[in-house]
Parts: sequence; structure tokens; C-alpha cells
Amino acid sequence: MDFLDQFTITTLRASTPIILAAVAGLFSIRAGIFHLGIEGLMLAGAFAAVAAGTASGSVWIGLLVAIAVCLILSVLYWVVIDRLKADAVIAGLGLTALCVGGTAFAMQVIFGRRGQMGSEVRLPRPVTGPQEGILGYVSELTIITWATPILILLAWIVLRRSRLGLQIAAVGDYPYGAEASGVNQSMVRLKALLITGFGCAIAGTQLAVGDVAGFSENMTNGRGFFALAAVLFGGFSAVYTALAGLFFGFADAFGIAMQLFDQSGLPTQFVLMAPFVLTIIIVTISGAVKKKRGTS
Amino acid sequence: MDFMHRALSAIFPVIAAFILAAALFALTGYDLYEVTAGVIEGAITGYGSFWSTLRWAMPLLLIALGVMFALRAAEFNIGGQGQMMIGGLGCVAVALLVPGPAWLVMPLAVLTGMLFGTLWSLLPGILKIRYGADEVILTLMLNFIAVLFVSWVTTGPLKDPAVRGESASTPKVDEALRLSGGDGMSWALLIMLVVAALVAWLIAERTKTGLQMRFVGEAEKAARWQGINVDRLKLISYALAGLFAGLAGAFEVLGPNGRLVTGATPTIGFTAIVVTIVGLSRVPGIVFAALLFGGLQAAVLFLPIVSDLPSSGLKILEGIIAILVTAELIRRRRAG
Repeated sequence: MDFLDQFTITTLRASTPIILAAVAGLFSIRAGIFHLGIEGLMLAGAFAAVAAGTASGSVWIGLLVAIAVCLILSVLYWVVIDRLKADAVIAGLGLTALCVGGTAFAMQVIFGRRGQMGSEVRLPRPVTGPQEGILGYVSELTIITWATPILILLAWIVLRRSRLGLQIAAVGDYPYGAEASGVNQSMVRLKALLITGFGCAIAGTQLAVGDVAGFSENMTNGRGFFALAAVLFGGFSAVYTALAGLFFGFADAFGIAMQLFDQSGLPTQFVLMAPFVLTIIIVTISGAVKKKRGTS
Repeated sequence: MDFMHRALSAIFPVIAAFILAAALFALTGYDLYEVTAGVIEGAITGYGSFWSTLRWAMPLLLIALGVMFALRAAEFNIGGQGQMMIGGLGCVAVALLVPGPAWLVMPLAVLTGMLFGTLWSLLPGILKIRYGADEVILTLMLNFIAVLFVSWVTTGPLKDPAVRGESASTPKVDEALRLSGGDGMSWALLIMLVVAALVAWLIAERTKTGLQMRFVGEAEKAARWQGINVDRLKLISYALAGLFAGLAGAFEVLGPNGRLVTGATPTIGFTAIVVTIVGLSRVPGIVFAALLFGGLQAAVLFLPIVSDLPSSGLKILEGIIAILVTAELIRRRRAG
């Protein structure tokens, strides 16, 4: 593989989990929940996929268990923030902390391993493309990466063209108006959170059994927070959110390439900072625009 | 009655979390007696244990005192982590680069740490107040930027030349500038912590600014109608949050660490927010909560000696407390 192939594959690898988590997180944020538990859900999904996949010998059972675990945790989060009226930000950070501790704990209790463990199973790579040439990288892509554009399209359809999508937007933008017109806010929030949990499970599975084939403590390493930044960056559209996630992956690949072929002397840290700085600028501009319109 | 209700609603989640965690440990086959004894020995009764508890309570207490002002003004400043790191950066830069007698350089280094922390916090404060940008995102992003920036400084301009390879730390600061030894605590630090807590209490409870800040947080519109300069008070809350977090960073550098290390305490900013809320956003409560969480941290480091319970077990406990701590506790906040 030449440099361009390597760069493309690194970008796609790095961005797939972020894109999936971001598009999934979009549902919660659209419903007015600033879901800082995404980071933890991804991590829980990653561990569940490795654990169940290794125990059963099937990557699909791993994926299903990951989805089940993330859905259960999402219901738990919903109970705490909706039924018990807890602060969504604090409880979300707590959920992430619980998952960081819980996955490390479970790894030690169930498998007797500290720090990291390998996975016996990996996601299939369905396309066996040419080994050489400009499209050499396609045979490296997992089935989840191939499915990602379809999932983005589905998310876009649900958000823009379905009843649920309209209800989610209504609950997020005008909670009282939504309630007055007969929308059950609690149920809409639950559905949004479940979709987010589902997407985080797939993102975590891709992370753990897609490329690296293993789980290590805190392996998400902030990707869930990057995903949230991508949502804000993407201005509440599924497609732009996905593009923002791709940009994060690109920045990641760019950082790695800089480390390998450093010519200019620009430190990689500054390259990696770019998405965060851009997010700050975007959030500030969108805040200023809202303020001017008097809607904030 | 109201105070009792609030105190109970803060203590209950902590107790519930302990029970849930204990049940989890018992179900997974750990000896609860052994674990409990280990936690108590590691946090309180063991040799040097309480000193260690104080060492870990120190940054939590300082950051939490800052978060207290932010929460009182209803500003959700979750940037304590970054403010602390940037504060540590300012402090270590002065300690390493400015020549002069220790009695002059040491206070200058601490003040620079406080100043850097303040500026790092004022940045999102200004963007929030002037442009209405969401402060949760801003401070979260600034945490990442601070981590990357410190990572650059510790592997680049201020890299320890004595260590080969990808070392992520600055050289040690001069011994004469240190506020404590490697065990992390000293009477000097302890006295300064008490002074910091007293100052925070005075500002919060005995100054016009502190009391108005709370008024702003509880009823912003009413405060505006009263002619209070809301924006100014909110900005002060950001400055104070950064000031205390910067102080925490400076104390980490001149105290236990003796240098600036990348990724030494990755989740301390988050724990400090939980400390603030468990402490009911009041100084005495925050002191108790900081000791509780500091004790847990000390116990985490001690536990492997006496029990096979992994340290992640106590992270679970912390997570459960955070999930439950605001439940049913009426601190309404944010929607999108």
C-alpha cells in the first residue's frame, strides 16, 4: 500500500466509530439531552462485543450483546434523568465514569485480565478488492464501515422525514409546545436515548473488534466527546454531523501521518487541536447568531 | 428543615452508591470485610494514610471551591481539568525559567499558576456571556486543548532532557521551591489549603459579590430587575473558578509531583464537580466531600496491597454517586 492508501484507510478507520457515535448522539442532543454518557456507552459496547464475542466464538453475538448492554444502560440513564430528574450533564459524566470503572472491573472479574485483552473474533471484511493500486484499501474495511453510509441515510430519514424525528425536534426545541400538542416528552426522550445507545454499541463494536481486535481500559479515549463536538459542528444535520465525524478521523490520520513523515516541524498536538478549536469557533458563532435573533 | 432536606438528598446518593457497590463486590466474590478494612486502612488508619488522603483531597478541594462559584452563578463550568493543567503550566514555567531566590520565585510561580488558570477560565466565560456560546462545550473542548497543549510543552519546549524517548514530563523544579516532598503533603500546604477554604468562604458568604452571585444563580431575571450587573458577576464566577483550579495546578507542581506531568490526574476535574455537588455548593460541605473522595483515592492506591479488589471497583462507586447525586435534587439546568 502506498501513502495515499494508508492515509485513506487510517481516516476511515479512525472516523467510523466517531461518525457512528455522533450520528447516534445527534438524536439525544436533538431531543434536548446533552448526553455526556456517549463516551461510556461506546466503551461498554466495545467491552461487551469483545467479551461476548470471545465467549461465544461469534462476532455477531458479540454485536448483539453490545447492543443489549448499551440499550439497558440507556434505559438506566433515562430513568435517572427523566424519572428522577437528575442533571443530564452530571449523570452523563457519571455514566461514563461507571462504564470506565465497570468495564475494567468486569474484565478482571470475568477474564482475570488487567489493562487489556485480545479478541478471538473480528468483524468480517466483505469486499476483497484489488491488493494494489488506488483502491487497495477497500479490502481493509469492515462490514460496519461499509454499513455506515446506510446508517447515516437511515438517521437522516428518521430525523427529517418521520413522525419520531419531528417529535424529537419538537421536544428539543419547544418542550412545552410539544407537550401541549399531545407529545409524550418522556417517551420521545426514551426513544432518542435508545437510538443513541444502539449507535454507540455499533461504534464500540467497530472500535474493539473492527480494527484492533481487543479491548483495553478506557480505549475510547475521548472519542465520545469528539462525537458530541461533531454533532454541534454538524449543526444538527445527520449528514453534516457525519462529515464532521469524518473530519475528526481525518485530523487523527493527519496527526499520525505527521508523526511518520514530519517535515515541517509542526507538532502533532497542534494538528490534533484543530477540531476542538474549530468547535469552539462554531459554537461561538452559532451562539452569537441565536443571540442576535433573540431566541436563546 | 430545608437544610436538612438538602443535606439528606446529598448524603443519600452517597450511601446508596456504597450499598450498590458493596452488593456488586459481594456478588462477584470479594470479601467485603477485607475490602472495607482495606479502604479504612488505606484512607485513615494506616501509616501515612491520612496524609495520603489529604494529598488527594487537596486538588479536589481547590477545584471544587472554584466550581462552587460557577455553580452558584448557574454557570456550568466543567473546565476545571484544563484550568488546573494550564495553571500547572504557568507555575512550572516560572519555577524552571525564572532565576532568583526561592522566596521570590515560589510565590511568583504560584501566582502565575493562578493567573493562567484564571485566564483559561475567562476565555469561555467571555465567549458565553458576550456571544451566548454553550459553556459546557466550550469548557469541555478547552480541557482537550489544555491536555494537548501541556502534552506538547512536556514533550517539546520544556521536555526533561534527562529522560530519553517520549517522556511526557518537564524536569523537576528546584528542591528549594517545593512545597512538599514526594509523599505529597506538608504542614505548609495544609495551612495554605485551610486559608484557601477560608478565603473562598469569606468571598462566598460574607461579600456583596458572593451573595449577589448566588442571587444571580437562583433568579437571574429578578437580579437583572434589581439592577445587578449579572454579566459582571458571572464573569467573576469564571475568574474565581479558574483561580482556584490554577492554584490546584500550581500546588500539584510545587507539591507532590515536583514537575508538570501529562495525564497525571486525568479525571480529577470531573471528580471535583461531584465533590462540589455532594458538598451542596457550600464550603464546609465541600471540605467533607473532598476528604471523602480524597480518602477513596488514597484507598484505591493502597487497596492492591491488602485485597485483590481492582481499583476500578472504586471508580464504579464514584460513577454511581455521580449518576445519583443530582437525582430528585432540584437543581434545574439546561436543555440543549
